[in-house]
Amino acid sequence: MWAIEVRELVVEYRQAFRPPVRAVDRLSFGVREGEIVGFLGVNGAGKSSTIKVLMGFQPPTAGEVRLFGQPATDARARQLVGFLPETALYSPYLTPYETMRLYGALQGLTGHSLNAQIEALLAAVGIAPKMHTLNRHLSKGMLQRLGIAQALLGNPKLLILDEVSSGLDPVGRRELRDLLRLQRERGATIFFSSHELGEVASLCDRILVIHRGRLIAEHTLSELSGRFESLEDYFIRTVQQGADALAQEVAA
Amino acid sequence: MSVSLIQVCRALTVAGLLETLRRKDLYVVLMLMALMVLGASTFRVFGVRGLEIFIKDTTFLAMGIFSTVLTVLIAARQLPDEVQRRTIYPLLARPITRGQLLMGKWLTAFITAGACFLILAGAAWLLLLMLGVPLKPIFGQYLLLKLIGIGWLCALGVALSVYLTPAANVTLSLILAFGSGLFNRLLLMAHWERGLDALWLNWLYGVLPHYDLFDMSQKVVYDWDPIAWWVIGAMAVYALGSGGAYLLLGWLRFRRQVLG
Repeated sequence: MWAIEVRELVVEYRQAFRPPVRAVDRLSFGVREGEIVGFLGVNGAGKSSTIKVLMGFQPPTAGEVRLFGQPATDARARQLVGFLPETALYSPYLTPYETMRLYGALQGLTGHSLNAQIEALLAAVGIAPKMHTLNRHLSKGMLQRLGIAQALLGNPKLLILDEVSSGLDPVGRRELRDLLRLQRERGATIFFSSHELGEVASLCDRILVIHRGRLIAEHTLSELSGRFESLEDYFIRTVQQGADALAQEVAA
Repeated sequence: MSVSLIQVCRALTVAGLLETLRRKDLYVVLMLMALMVLGASTFRVFGVRGLEIFIKDTTFLAMGIFSTVLTVLIAARQLPDEVQRRTIYPLLARPITRGQLLMGKWLTAFITAGACFLILAGAAWLLLLMLGVPLKPIFGQYLLLKLIGIGWLCALGVALSVYLTPAANVTLSLILAFGSGLFNRLLLMAHWERGLDALWLNWLYGVLPHYDLFDMSQKVVYDWDPIAWWVIGAMAVYALGSGGAYLLLGWLRFRRQVLG
């Protein structure tokens, strides 16, 4: 079964007295249940716009997006999803524990099971000793760890993570990789965007590369092994070829 | 597992109350009010007679201004703070609707601003008691009507925050809250000048918000007897009707708004 289905997705941003900006252009892809898929692209490629539509934060201009067969805007679909936004600054006047309680309650979790989950997750991301410190006293990396912990509340079947390793130090990145592997072992599907290609190479089954809103490459990591020096080499070449191809298409 | 509106409201309200208590705005306002009241009471040193009314007037003026400013600030920052911090995304990623989030934010603002007002009123009451200026039972009706007004003002502030930038929202809300008393006077003057046939003035009066109608501080200052309860009921109906309309207008935009 498909965890994510995206068909002919178009996202445009309207501007006053100017033509709309097309951030995502007829994008189609799917992610199967249990897969770990990396979503790659240079800055402004359309990754965050795609993720916003996946999460139902904004309606698509055209096309269709489904999570586990249900429209992305459906609250029942979001019950199955854990989401990490890019660089969120969690309320400076709450502690990590209170922040987790807020999101847990909005997830429909209550009582002892919620408390147990909060303690386990904050320990798993390494901020249990700071769970009663106000968020404004936490570093960027610790806030990112808190973000990862809130995304894991309720053991979601699908994790959508935007710039997952942003702000994390090398130790934090390794811990994150281990944590995501554990999520995979329990059967979760993971779809994430990242500029840390080493992390993508060590975690993903498959990668999708988008450029100027279009899907320009889709490969499993086994298909790439031995053909390129590194994933970075592959990515730079792919984006360059994709840019040239798009330029030729426009010229024609 | 679906999440009920009550669960959403409770979770958001607890977080909102904690944030407000830790922001320390309330403590600054409490100190300012105490300074104003105690400052007004120092006139006693000069043997001025009939000072009770002056002290009460100053107290209720300070309470009215500070509670209104706090209410507007609390309501105006509910949604924009979440958008600026990008925490609107993990909120909306939960199995809740945007309508539930908007209602939860309104209730958070109402309960938080209402609690701040009651703390201010309690402190004012204690200060006046200490100064030997007791209040009559109409003070209870004043509190109730003001709380209804705070709920109404929160609906206006939360709804405007969907349409305006935070700064514009605060400015407009404060103008509407403090300027609403002027509308009555201008209307009376216009009727006096042009007669009751100035229909557009009546229409304008009906459309403009009237926060001033929720303020009966002058009746408390001059020790009136309690007013008829149907008047409070009528004001509650007005608050429900127009406050509900503001929230509906806010929801109509917020439900499809592209955030961030």
